[in-house]
Amino acid sequence: MAMLLSEKQIAQLKRRVRETPHPREMVLDVLHAIQDANGWVSDEGIELAAIILGLSPLQVEEIATFYDKIYRRPVGRKVIHICDSICCWSRGSETLMLRLQQLLGIAAGETTTDGMFTLLPTCCLGACADAPAVRIGKTLYGKVAPEQLETILDGERTEVKS
Amino acid sequence: MPTLIIDNQTVTVPEGTNVLEAAKRLGIEIPHFCYHEALGSVGACRLCAVEFREGPVKGIQMSCMTPAKDGMVVDTGSAEVLAYRAQVIEWLMTNHPHDCPVCDEGGECQLQDMTVAGGHGIRRYTGPKRTYQNQNLGPFIVHEMNRCIQCYRCVRTYQDYCGGTDFGVLGSRQRLYFGRFSDGPLESPFAGNLVDVCPTGVLTDKTYRFKSRVWDLQEAPSICPHCSLGCAVTPGARYRQLQRRRARLNNQTNGHFICDRGRFGYGYANHPDRPRYPLVGHRRVTWQEALAAMQSKLQELGELFGSGSIGLLTSSRATLETQFLTKRWAAALGSDQLCFEAHPRRDFASRVAASQQLDRSASLEDVRNCDLAVLIGADPLSEAPMLALALRQAARRGARIVIVDPRPVVLPVAFERHAVSVDKFSQLLRGLGRPQQGDFSSSMEELGGSLANALLAAQRPLLIGGTDLLGPQGTQALQHAAKACSQPEKPCRTMFMLTGPNSFGGALLSANGPGFDSLMEGMEQGRIKALLCFEADPLADYPDRKRSRAALARLDMLAVFDCAATATVQESDFFFPTTTVEESVGTLINNEGRMQTFEQVFSAGTPLAESASGSHPPRFFTRDIPGSEPQSAWGILSALMGRSADLDALRREIEKNDHRFAGLSQLKANGEGRRIAIPSQHPESLPLNIASSIGSDQLQLLVTETLYGSELLSSLSPCLQELIPAPFVTVHPQDATRFKLEEGKKVLLGTPMGDLTLTLRIEGDMVPGVAIVPRLRGTVLEPLVPGTESLPCRIEKV
Repeated sequence: MAMLLSEKQIAQLKRRVRETPHPREMVLDVLHAIQDANGWVSDEGIELAAIILGLSPLQVEEIATFYDKIYRRPVGRKVIHICDSICCWSRGSETLMLRLQQLLGIAAGETTTDGMFTLLPTCCLGACADAPAVRIGKTLYGKVAPEQLETILDGERTEVKS
Repeated sequence: MPTLIIDNQTVTVPEGTNVLEAAKRLGIEIPHFCYHEALGSVGACRLCAVEFREGPVKGIQMSCMTPAKDGMVVDTGSAEVLAYRAQVIEWLMTNHPHDCPVCDEGGECQLQDMTVAGGHGIRRYTGPKRTYQNQNLGPFIVHEMNRCIQCYRCVRTYQDYCGGTDFGVLGSRQRLYFGRFSDGPLESPFAGNLVDVCPTGVLTDKTYRFKSRVWDLQEAPSICPHCSLGCAVTPGARYRQLQRRRARLNNQTNGHFICDRGRFGYGYANHPDRPRYPLVGHRRVTWQEALAAMQSKLQELGELFGSGSIGLLTSSRATLETQFLTKRWAAALGSDQLCFEAHPRRDFASRVAASQQLDRSASLEDVRNCDLAVLIGADPLSEAPMLALALRQAARRGARIVIVDPRPVVLPVAFERHAVSVDKFSQLLRGLGRPQQGDFSSSMEELGGSLANALLAAQRPLLIGGTDLLGPQGTQALQHAAKACSQPEKPCRTMFMLTGPNSFGGALLSANGPGFDSLMEGMEQGRIKALLCFEADPLADYPDRKRSRAALARLDMLAVFDCAATATVQESDFFFPTTTVEESVGTLINNEGRMQTFEQVFSAGTPLAESASGSHPPRFFTRDIPGSEPQSAWGILSALMGRSADLDALRREIEKNDHRFAGLSQLKANGEGRRIAIPSQHPESLPLNIASSIGSDQLQLLVTETLYGSELLSSLSPCLQELIPAPFVTVHPQDATRFKLEEGKKVLLGTPMGDLTLTLRIEGDMVPGVAIVPRLRGTVLEPLVPGTESLPCRIEKV
C-alpha cells in the first residue's frame, strides 16, 4: 500500500489532516494526491486514503465515486472530458464527441490502445460561458470547434512526449 | 401554533410541524417514501406533493418539506396532485424490476402500495432497466439493489441515526449504489433496522427469507425479552415457527428501532433442543402424572420437614403474573423461602433501583432528550444496546456524554471517557454526591465533584448506572448523587441497567424477602429439601457454580419450569415445559419501572419445519399438535393452586392486592405501557461488600456482559451463535508487558472457578490491573458470571 504514495507524502498528508478541524474536508486532496501519483485510485488507494484521513473506506468511497474526475478504474495518461450538459449540448457537443471518437478510434468510456487518451462524457465543467467545452488532462478548452480537435490532440500528445 | 385547513378540515399543530405530519393528525395519509418520523424530511422521493391553494406558498409543493403555517389551505387529492404523483411513481418504476412474486417485501412493500394507490398499473417504459451486482452483507440482511428507488432511508438510518460507518451511498445520479466498500457483514449492531426502513425489497431479513408471505404470519404486539429495556417488537410466526421480529413503535422506549440482538435473538423459541414435554426423573410423562407426582412429593416433604423446607425461585425472565403467583403459591405452601433472582448481588441492586422515586426515573425518550448524560460502570452496547442508540440521538442534539468505566467502552457516537477502576467508584460517587464543594480528598472525588457541577448546570441532566459494576451500594450511592445534583425545576434523572426484562417486577415483589444466598445456605444445611424454579436457572446464574451445583445436589427434589434447556433443567427431578414470551400473554416491567403487557403471537408446538424434517408434513393423523405441551408458567401455577387461568381476573387481583400495580388491568399491549406509580421500599439491609485482596502478581477479574453470547435466550438463536466470539481475555498493555503476554496468543487465566485457556486481547482504553472476560455461554467462559465482587486471578503464557 505504501507504494501508492511515498512515506514522506503520507506523513505530509497526515499532518495536514491533523491540522484540519474536519478531516472530511481533506478527502479530495488526499484522493487527488493518490491519483496524481498513480493515474487513478485503486481499491488499495481508497484504503490508504481512509487510513490517512481516519475515516472508513466506505466514507472515502462515497466521495470518490460521486466525482467523475476521480478515476476508480485505470485510465489513459490523459482523460478527455466532453461536457454533455445543456449549454454545451446546445452548442454542438454531440458533434465533438463523434469527431473525437473518429479521431481516436474508440467509443466513449474507452482508452486508446497506446494508453494515451481515455474519452469520457461529463455533466459539467463549469465553463458554460465557453460552451462547448472539453477538458483534456488538466487543460480546459472552451468554444471548441470540431475542426480544432485534431490540432488540440496533437498538442496534447507532444506535450506528453516533451 | 399554526392553524391550517387540509382537505376542508381545520387543524392546529405545534410550530415546526410539517404539512405531512399535520395531515396525519387528521387521519389523512399523504403518500411518501423518503420521509420517516425518526429520520426527518429530505424531499428526495417527490411523492408527498400536495397542492397549496391559499397561504404563504402556492401551487404544488412537497408536504414533508413545507412547515405548516397559518392560513394555509391544502388539497392533498386534487386532480393535478394525483397526476403528479402518478408520474413520480411511473418514473420510479422505470428501473424497478417486476419481481414482486419472488420478493420478500411483497405484502408490506410501500412501493407496491403506492404504485397501486397511485393508479399506475401499466408500464409505458419498455427500455432496459438499470441493474447492479449485489453484495453479501453478512448473516442478517439480503441485498437486492435492482429494486432500489433512491429514497436514502437506509443511509439516513445506518449512518445518521445508528452511527454506522461501513454502509453508505456510492456513485451519483443514475448510478447510485447503496452498499458497502466491499462484501462483508454490516458492522453496526443496529443494522437490522435497514429491513424495517427500506420501503421496497432492497434490504430484507435474511433469517426470514422465503419463509412466509407477511399476510400468512401470525403477529401480535410483544416485548423484547433480551435485556431490561423492554423494547416494543412485533414477532411473526407461521407453521408453529417463530420466523422474525420487527421493531414496533413505542415513543417512550425504543422509538422506531431495535437492536440486532432483539431482532435476531428470536431463534430460541424454535430451538431443536428445547424441552417440550413434562419429565419426571428424565422420563416423559403426561402433565397430570407430572403434576400429581410433584405435588405428592411436595406434600410428603412438607409433612416430614415443615413448609419451610420448600424454596421457590423465579427470575427476571418470568412475567409479573408468574412472579405474583409464585409469591401466592409460596404463601399457600406456607414457605417464606422465596426469591426472585438467583444472583444475590444483582437481586439487591435491582431492589435498590426499584426503590427510587419514579418521577426521577428516565425513559429512553428522556435519554434521547437529555443534554448531559454521565454513565458510571455502564457499557450500554453490551448491557442494553438500545441505550447506546438513545445516547447517540442525545449527542446529535448536542448533549455531552461522559462514561466512567474500567472497561474499553464503545459507543456509536463520540463521548468523553474516564477509565476508572471499580474500587475507585465509591470515591467518585462520594464526589458526585457533593456538587459545589471544594475540599476533595482525592482526585477521583474531585472528578466526581466536577461531574456533579456539570449535572447541576445542565438543563436535562441524567445519571446512568450499570448495576453489575455498581452493585447494591453503588446503585444506592448513584441515587443519592442524583438527588444532590437535582434542582426542583430540573431533576437529575437516573436510569439503571438491570439483569433482565422483568428484574423490576421481581424487585417490587421481593420487598424484604430473602436473597438467594439465604436459600443456598438453607439447601447446604439441609433445611431446604425442595427447590421450585420458575423460569430460573440457579446453576448458571448463581455466581459460584461449584457451590450451587453442590447445594442443588443435596436437594430431595428439584422442580424446574422453563422454556429453554438450561443447566438447571438437566439436573431437575421434575420438569415442566413453559411457553416463551411469544407463545403466551403477560406483563414485564422494564428498567425504568414501566409496566408493559404483551399478547400471544402463536401457540407453542414443534415447528413444522422440524417435525416434517424439511419434507412433507407427517401423513399420520393425531388429535394433538406435536410439541404443543408447553404452558404459560402463570397458567401452570394457577392450576397448581386450583384456580382458573383467567388473565383479566389475575391482573385485577394483582392490582387490588398491591396498589403499586394500579392500572395493570387497563393496559393495552399496543400502547406505551404505564409507569409504576409508587416505588418499593428501600431494602432494609444490603449484602456487604466483600472485596478480595489482590496480590501483586495477580489481576482483578472482571466478568462482563457482552452483546452476543451473554444473554441466555438470544445466545440460543442460531443466527446469533455465529457471532459469538471465541473466548478471550482483555488486559491493559502495561499488564501485557508485566506478564510478557502477546496479542492474539493463548494465555492461561487462573480463576477461582478454574483455569481457563483463552486468547489474549490487549486494549489501551481500559484501566490497568484488570483482566476482563466476557460472559460467553456454551464456551469455557460459561461458569464466569458478571455482577460479582471482583475476584483475584492469575494470568500467564501457555
